[in-house]
Amino acid sequence: MSAEVITLMERYVDGDAAAFRAIYALLAPKLRGYLAKMTRDRAVADDLLQQTFLKVHRARTAWVRGSDPTPWIYAIAHRTFLDEARRVQRAVVSVGKGEELPEVKAELGGAAEGATETAPDPELTKAALAALEALPPQQREAVVLTKLDGKSIAEAAAIAGTTPGAMKVRAHRGYVALRKALGSPEASTASADEGGES
Amino acid sequence: MSDELDAVLAGVALPAAPPMCDELERELGALAPVRARNPRRDLALVIGASLAYAGAFLAILRLRRDLDGLPMGWLAAYAAAWFAGFASLAWLAIVPPRGQMMPRWRAAGIGAVIASILFIAGGILLHQEAPNSVYYGWDKFHRGHWCLEIGLATAIVPATLGAIVLRGVLPVGSRWAAAALGAAGGSLGGLVLHLHCPIADGVHLGIVHGGVVLVSAVLAAAIAPRAKMSP
Repeated sequence: MSAEVITLMERYVDGDAAAFRAIYALLAPKLRGYLAKMTRDRAVADDLLQQTFLKVHRARTAWVRGSDPTPWIYAIAHRTFLDEARRVQRAVVSVGKGEELPEVKAELGGAAEGATETAPDPELTKAALAALEALPPQQREAVVLTKLDGKSIAEAAAIAGTTPGAMKVRAHRGYVALRKALGSPEASTASADEGGES
Repeated sequence: MSDELDAVLAGVALPAAPPMCDELERELGALAPVRARNPRRDLALVIGASLAYAGAFLAILRLRRDLDGLPMGWLAAYAAAWFAGFASLAWLAIVPPRGQMMPRWRAAGIGAVIASILFIAGGILLHQEAPNSVYYGWDKFHRGHWCLEIGLATAIVPATLGAIVLRGVLPVGSRWAAAALGAAGGSLGGLVLHLHCPIADGVHLGIVHGGVVLVSAVLAAAIAPRAKMSP
């Protein structure tokens, strides 16, 4: 997909609006899924998605020919989410270690209108998504980026503005917490080995 | 369980994306070709314009009067170190790795911290004096503030130009990149001071001349959000 996005971006900065629409079609579903899981509110996620693409459009001169804009676009979505989280003054907001993001309405944003469920076990999927929703924001983001969106640890770290090491730890802890929530015996052992929570 | 969980997470259906909003549609309707960013050209611009400005500034300030009495090797090596600090920090802050859009802001930020420490320590430990150099020490330390002002005045140009070429580039890490640009500017300020200021004691060289790097890095990081480096 990266080569396709690069080609489309070439056409887009050269003035082809259809190329931007194609980029939107390619990336918006994933970004919406990411934002929905971070905000836990579909309406807010939709709004942030539009803000993200507006920012992408207005900052398109920042693109470097031949480079993949996907991590940059994700990072804009990440920043847009953090800015929104700061704006909503419901709780303590955090970007760094140990801080929290405001808790928005508890609703799972992953389920799609008209989307086909492809997971092997619908009950397990439901339980996994509920457990995902309960994870701390940084761990949730790490699991969403690495497991749901298929980003590498390095890509996810670049998007979230952290080190690959920290992202790996967040993803691992999130994953262990998910397994624990789903009653996996191996998770108890892993979390006992793990020590403290981030 | 792990395999099953992996399958579940990988198979979560993506939500359908909503259509683009009216504002975005309107802006797309007036889409014009734009010039994509060229980081190496930007770096050359920042370095070239900053050196021209620093050179002109130095011509106005004049070269240090104790120049002839100082060891040429020390003078050249220290000038090279200042220039290397300026160029390498600017490179880290502006030029991304091949195939990527965002510069190495984390390495740039760490570089700014290291450069600040090295130039402060280097000034204190590696100073050289000539017979006609000026000695302030702690007693007249406060009279050296003029050097801080010269250094910061020099740093303004590279830091500002760097922030301009990075507009919209860094959704994350803009403060770190800005700190690196500030430290790069501070290093150029240190180079100007190295060639202008005849005060040769270690306290002045370390804390004031080296301190320019730290102060300009902190100021740049504080001002970064206003520079729109984040889209």
